[in-house]
Amino acid sequence: MWESVADFVVQGIVLGGLYALIAVGISLIFGVLDVINVAHGEFFAVGGYLVFASVVLMHLGPALGIAAATAGTFVLGLAVYPLLLAPLRRRLGRRPSGSLYLVLTLGLSTFMQNGLLALAGGEYLQIPPHVRGILDLPFTSVSYQRLLVLAIAAVLLGGLFAFLKLHRYGLAVRAVAQDPDAAQSVGIVLGRVFGLTLALGVALAGASGALMAPLFNVYPAVGFPLTVKAFAITIVGGMGNLVGALIAALVLGVVESLAVMVIPSQWQNAIAFAAMIGVLLVRPQGLLGRAVAR
Amino acid sequence: MSRTRRPLALGAAAVMLAAALPFIVPHPFVLTIATQALIWALLAASWDLLSGYTGQISFGHAGFFLVGAYAAAAVTKHAGVSPWAGLVVGTLAAGLVGLAVGFPALRLRGHYLALVTLGFAEIIRLTAQNWMSLTGGPFGIYDYRTFPGLPVEPLAHRRAAYWVVLAIVAASIAVMVKTCEHTPAAKAFRAIREDEVLAATLGIHTTAYKLLAFGLSAGFAGLAGTLYAYYIVLVSPTVGAVGTTSLAIGMAVFGGLGTIWGPVVGALLFYGLNEALRFVGVVYNLIAVGLILMVFVIFVPRGLAGAAASRPRRRRSAARAGGERALGSTGN
Repeated sequence: MWESVADFVVQGIVLGGLYALIAVGISLIFGVLDVINVAHGEFFAVGGYLVFASVVLMHLGPALGIAAATAGTFVLGLAVYPLLLAPLRRRLGRRPSGSLYLVLTLGLSTFMQNGLLALAGGEYLQIPPHVRGILDLPFTSVSYQRLLVLAIAAVLLGGLFAFLKLHRYGLAVRAVAQDPDAAQSVGIVLGRVFGLTLALGVALAGASGALMAPLFNVYPAVGFPLTVKAFAITIVGGMGNLVGALIAALVLGVVESLAVMVIPSQWQNAIAFAAMIGVLLVRPQGLLGRAVAR
Repeated sequence: MSRTRRPLALGAAAVMLAAALPFIVPHPFVLTIATQALIWALLAASWDLLSGYTGQISFGHAGFFLVGAYAAAAVTKHAGVSPWAGLVVGTLAAGLVGLAVGFPALRLRGHYLALVTLGFAEIIRLTAQNWMSLTGGPFGIYDYRTFPGLPVEPLAHRRAAYWVVLAIVAASIAVMVKTCEHTPAAKAFRAIREDEVLAATLGIHTTAYKLLAFGLSAGFAGLAGTLYAYYIVLVSPTVGAVGTTSLAIGMAVFGGLGTIWGPVVGALLFYGLNEALRFVGVVYNLIAVGLILMVFVIFVPRGLAGAAASRPRRRRSAARAGGERALGSTGN
């Protein structure tokens, strides 16, 4: 009994780490650009395909594969703001954007998903583990692949938080999140910060896609359910609140994993949405959210 | 012709022309496409009623569609209910689910509402997938009766089914246009879209009207689902995937928001185009959906309806501006 609990907790933390990479990216983009990126999971899928291309097709080795996936999605992400969001922003001027960006990124999601389907086909691609072997702990065992996921997730998230706290550009990103107009008036170029933030956010998704590829299969729609779940997580944690998203993601991962012991596994996926609806009814700003929403 | 009669006459002419289609092109494939296009038109119009008119953006219409389809298929298969009564059951079931979703969603606006409706639709889809005894799980419900009394011979059957769907869709669209243009709800919906707080200050019962819009919209989406259930005679959870919602939104944006007829025309054209492109490959259809969503949101936010109305005509200009604000005013 306790061994399986420990098993589920470890699996849950890994799952939570994955959720955190995606949810923190979504929350970061929302906090800075005030845009909910419906196409976020598609960058997860692109990351998976990039790692497949470099590891399986080009035999480059997993480290290069993960780096290629992260860099590739970062570059793709850099293109999204100037090509899609900026034109709409210019056209709207000072008018409220409402849900236009939601519909816009929904279009991007449909476009990317089916673009991947056209380019790579619909097969479920399998990728060998980046690292092999299993670590034996006193009362459970973990595959090195899962540990690697967790370690890289921690490094990436730690790096992001350090960048936001310490680096000049990170400071600019936080300034824009707080007040875009004031940030602009002290000489921060909004467009550049928006583009950079978006690229950083989706690169996190691309990296997690590359990390999870051996555990999931890679197929065009692999990311979308994760996007939807990450929305639930960001709402529970408070929109735009990165620490909230991180904590909510880890808790959800463990709860989902443990829930299998109590409820049928096919209902696992409903937990996040139930939590989201509950939080929205009781505390719409999220468990850790600020009372005043932007 | 007076100004109020004109849309009526245009609509009647369009319906008569549509009713004559089986005589103009008596081909079962064309009739199947046309029937499904009509079902999509109803779904897109139902989305427009809620999201285009009141500005409450729903990302969950696939869920309402699914509730209608499953309710109809289940009562006909398990309880032997006549499909004609099944239409009513499915519509009411979806309408009630819509009210149930709308009620907690009353406090939410913009982004949050869209995400909550998306979450609800996912829960509905998961329920459909997991409630084996009622829904048949991932394989869905099949092998039940379709509309009774239709001819057996294939072409005649298709033709009759097409007319049934056309009659129901046309009547539903007439009801929606009537509700959104010529009742007290019409002004209330627009007022809520433009400024909810101001609307409430002016004495408009915003809660009641938002619930009304939610219930009506979900009900009509469910009706589209029941028509789908009885026409295809197979309902499976994949029908309620998020792709269905984005296709419906794509059609509505393409056609022009806040007009009802715009999304209808958008859906018919879009579905027709989709099928015409099928020989190029199914994948490319959805790539096109994505492209149209992006291009139209950025450059043509008023859709085809806006383009049609952009010739100088004083009466239309107000509606035109409204259409653009349909999506634009729901910021939190």
